[in-house]
Amino acid sequence: MRRFFDRLTQARSGRSSHRSSEDDADARDAMADGQRPATDGGVPTGAGTGDGTGSDATPTDEAGALGRGLARLDDRFGEDFVESSPFWLPPFLLMGFFVYGAIAWNVLISLTDYEGFGNADYSQLDFEMYARAFGDPTVVQAAINTFVLLIAFTGICLVLGMLIAILVDRNVRFDNTLRTIYLLPMSLSFVVTAQFWLWMYDYNNGIVNQLLGVVNLGPYNFIGNPRLVLGAVVFALVWQFSGYAMVVYLAALRAIPSEHFEAAKVDGASIPRMYWRVIVPQLKGATISAAVVLMVFALKAFDFLYSLVGGYRPPNGADILATKMVREAYQNTNWAYGSAIAVLLFLMALGVIGPYLAHQYRNDNL
Amino acid sequence: MAQLSLDHLTKVFTDDDGSDIVAVDDVTVNIEDGEFLVLVGPSGCGKSTTLRMVAGLETVTSGDIRLGEESIADQKPQDRDIAMVFQSYALYPHMTVRENMSFGLEESTDMSDDEIHERVEDAADLLGIPELLGRKPGELSGGQRQRVALGRAIVRDPEVFLMDEPLSNLDAKLRSQMRTELQRLQEDLDTTTMYVTHDQTEAMTMGDRIAVLDAGELQQAGTPLECYHRPANRFVAGFIGEPSMNFFDATVEGDRLITDAFDYPLTEEMREAVDGANGVTLGIRPEDIEVAADDSPTGGDEFGTTVDVVEPMGNENAVYLGFDEDPTDTFVATVGGMRRIDAGERVVACFPSDAIHLFDDASGDALHNRSLADAEDAGAEPRV
Amino acid sequence: MSTDTSRTDRTDRLADIDGYRVGLYVAIGLLVAFFLTPIESGFVTSLKTDAAVGNTAPYLPPLFGGFSIANYVTAVEVLARGMGNSLLFAVPATLLSALLGSFAAYGLTLVDWKYQVPILVLFVAGVFIPYQAVLVPLSRLYSIVNVADLLWFVWAYTPVSVQYADLVELTVTHIAYGIPICTVLFRSYYTSMSTEMMEAARLDGASIRRVYRRIVFPLSTPMFAVVLIYQFTQIWNDLLFALVIVSTGSSPAAPVTLKLAGLGASLEGLDFGLRMAGAFVAALPTLLVYIAFGDEFAEGVAS
Repeated sequence: MRRFFDRLTQARSGRSSHRSSEDDADARDAMADGQRPATDGGVPTGAGTGDGTGSDATPTDEAGALGRGLARLDDRFGEDFVESSPFWLPPFLLMGFFVYGAIAWNVLISLTDYEGFGNADYSQLDFEMYARAFGDPTVVQAAINTFVLLIAFTGICLVLGMLIAILVDRNVRFDNTLRTIYLLPMSLSFVVTAQFWLWMYDYNNGIVNQLLGVVNLGPYNFIGNPRLVLGAVVFALVWQFSGYAMVVYLAALRAIPSEHFEAAKVDGASIPRMYWRVIVPQLKGATISAAVVLMVFALKAFDFLYSLVGGYRPPNGADILATKMVREAYQNTNWAYGSAIAVLLFLMALGVIGPYLAHQYRNDNL
Repeated sequence: MAQLSLDHLTKVFTDDDGSDIVAVDDVTVNIEDGEFLVLVGPSGCGKSTTLRMVAGLETVTSGDIRLGEESIADQKPQDRDIAMVFQSYALYPHMTVRENMSFGLEESTDMSDDEIHERVEDAADLLGIPELLGRKPGELSGGQRQRVALGRAIVRDPEVFLMDEPLSNLDAKLRSQMRTELQRLQEDLDTTTMYVTHDQTEAMTMGDRIAVLDAGELQQAGTPLECYHRPANRFVAGFIGEPSMNFFDATVEGDRLITDAFDYPLTEEMREAVDGANGVTLGIRPEDIEVAADDSPTGGDEFGTTVDVVEPMGNENAVYLGFDEDPTDTFVATVGGMRRIDAGERVVACFPSDAIHLFDDASGDALHNRSLADAEDAGAEPRV
Repeated sequence: MSTDTSRTDRTDRLADIDGYRVGLYVAIGLLVAFFLTPIESGFVTSLKTDAAVGNTAPYLPPLFGGFSIANYVTAVEVLARGMGNSLLFAVPATLLSALLGSFAAYGLTLVDWKYQVPILVLFVAGVFIPYQAVLVPLSRLYSIVNVADLLWFVWAYTPVSVQYADLVELTVTHIAYGIPICTVLFRSYYTSMSTEMMEAARLDGASIRRVYRRIVFPLSTPMFAVVLIYQFTQIWNDLLFALVIVSTGSSPAAPVTLKLAGLGASLEGLDFGLRMAGAFVAALPTLLVYIAFGDEFAEGVAS
């Protein structure tokens, strides 16, 4: 342990005056202090190996039963389980309670007949609310609307996003500025964009109707007409979120080595052909992850619909499960019924997310 | 003192599907105090896992690691009094060189700031990098980063240095320069060192001893020249040396070895060595093959061959030769760089009997190694 | 292919490329117009008098005395308090969810122990939960755990009104539901951090806590910028939780989104000038953040 210092002292004495031996001794003492194994308070060392060669090591006396218990946890879960738990455990408990605890509780409430004011009665559980939901034409219609919204919105966003990304990737100038512009709507609240589109779709003065007027169409009452409103909502949401798909695709395009583009060029492929045959197939991963996130956005379209009318009842023809659920629970105080609709919505989301997470998990991509 | 002993060290990883993979298999090796041991082997041979077990970054499945008399296999990494230099250097990018080097002392000792300051300055002087102390790793060249990584290990004055391919990220020229420098430093500090590399040049030139690993098993531990001249088995023989040793599959028939291309007469000594073995492999290093530029083999250990390819290296030529029986199946010989030799030429290759190695086909073990009489005569006695 | 044809080929292609570049920029210009029109139209409308809103084209700026900032005066009057309320819970919720997300990602990514992956899956899945599935229990929870009663001394001894208990609930809610996305964002950053560096720090004798404090936290600064910006935007923009927890725009503690959603409905007819002004006032903080840190936002969105 002293070698290093001795050597340095020797080396130094050649160059300058001798170092006093007192200094040396001090330094050595300090080192000896420092080199004492730094056992930390509660957790005894020696909990490393999982197979039992290490379990003979007796924990130090002062560590006590708690320390031994923690060491056993470490044995079980890996060396740093206990020491790292202050980091991940509190967020996990908080998140776990609010997300998974609440979902379980929600399922429980959906099995009761809880409504009105007062407390839920958990003594009688049945599937009555689900039966009621499946028999309720407005719920069925809301489910269909949700599905249409989900598919149309996601599909259009992906196609548009990919086209824009390909355009921006063609060595366009100011590409970062463009990205900023395309993403701008996404930074806005649904409440804000709903106001903008209400004005865009206005019967008398809205830009959409004015543009259609140029080609002798319209005017249409987009929000008031039950047959048009869902399409109008999808269009507005596409405006807000296709920038997201574009950013995801652009990142994926930039990750493709430029040799692929050059090789295709050398092979004499035309530009559209090159994209269709060489580049688009490589965007599969980006498509999957963008699609999942976009569907989640679509499921949250509640805010937009609520803001369009400033109330629980969205325009006729645009009712989705999310709005239906909130309306039943918070306007009509049919808590159990609302919970049952929420479970249906949750299962719908799970149908999208589950396979995605399983896929990511299998590819070690979490 | 700080003798490091690995005692039947074994590491088994359990795969996701529950199957076991033996990464390190019953490795026993001693590293004397102050010794420089190089752990060498092809990638995936378990050398890094071995090093990481010594560092405490991997748990030990069975066996023991002792530092001096004390078992450290169950200690936490920070309690083991070792320092490690990583392949990527693993410097902290947001800290200056001084902070990088002080970090370990601040975290693992209760030295005063002045003492830490002094030790960092001393180590920086030793490495010739005092002017870099105020810079951040991002502003340093690869060689400078390498020095800082060394400095970070040196300031802690550990019992053992562990180095995991520390030179592999440097370009060829810098690598050979750092090789000598590292050796000099280790000799100066006289600290027990375990060094992992896949580069056999590093292994041959740097180590006091080398330990050759393959498939998790220790093949041989010995001085570099021991491993070169007296390989314990066919793997070591083929792994150490560049170009590699030539191997010919053969069977023993009386006092002759029969291969596909030639017959080779066995000496009395060799015959005793191969006694009982059925299939053997004949090995000979390229530089031991004598190449003569005429076409009249005398028989015995001389064979008529045709030059297939010549690779000029400047100081020597690697000549690929083919037997008449199968000209595509070539073996390699090295001859002086000034000697003119062309593809297609007919030459005679001689396998001198004192340069022959024989290996058992079944076990791979060496049955007979070359004689070292010549080397002793020349006065350059190999340290075997 | 002979040299002749290849030459003509090349000139053809050059001509193509010129036409193609023009087409490219036209397409990009149209897209920019598409993305900016609703915002531009909203902005010019917000600056018009009621009369001008009706009789000028919706995309033209106010002309001939049609200019007025009266809409903004009213909008600020109505929304100012709501913006203050929003800041009151958005800032602490943003900071805490980012910090907790960073903690969780560190403990699950840079420290190694068994069964991390199942826990991680729960975090990741938490990102995708439709919030409707937790709303009713959330309301039940806050009626059982009554924050207004728990913090009675605050309302008793300070001028803060009891409705602000809702903002405490909102803060906790946003922290809890923000943790998954923050964890995922930090995790993607931490997986790219050198494991050798972590090992070096452990060998240097630093405990897990010290490694976070001295290595990981300082190196996380760029990701904190991304996460804070993203989270702030999300929390500021939220309507659903505000609606469920605060329930009415008339509450003195109502966040700005709740106020804005009620802005048009509470007035006779559709006063678009005022609505647009309100939209811009409510969006101002996120717009400022976005203009200043657009790149960080894009990065947060992309990962």
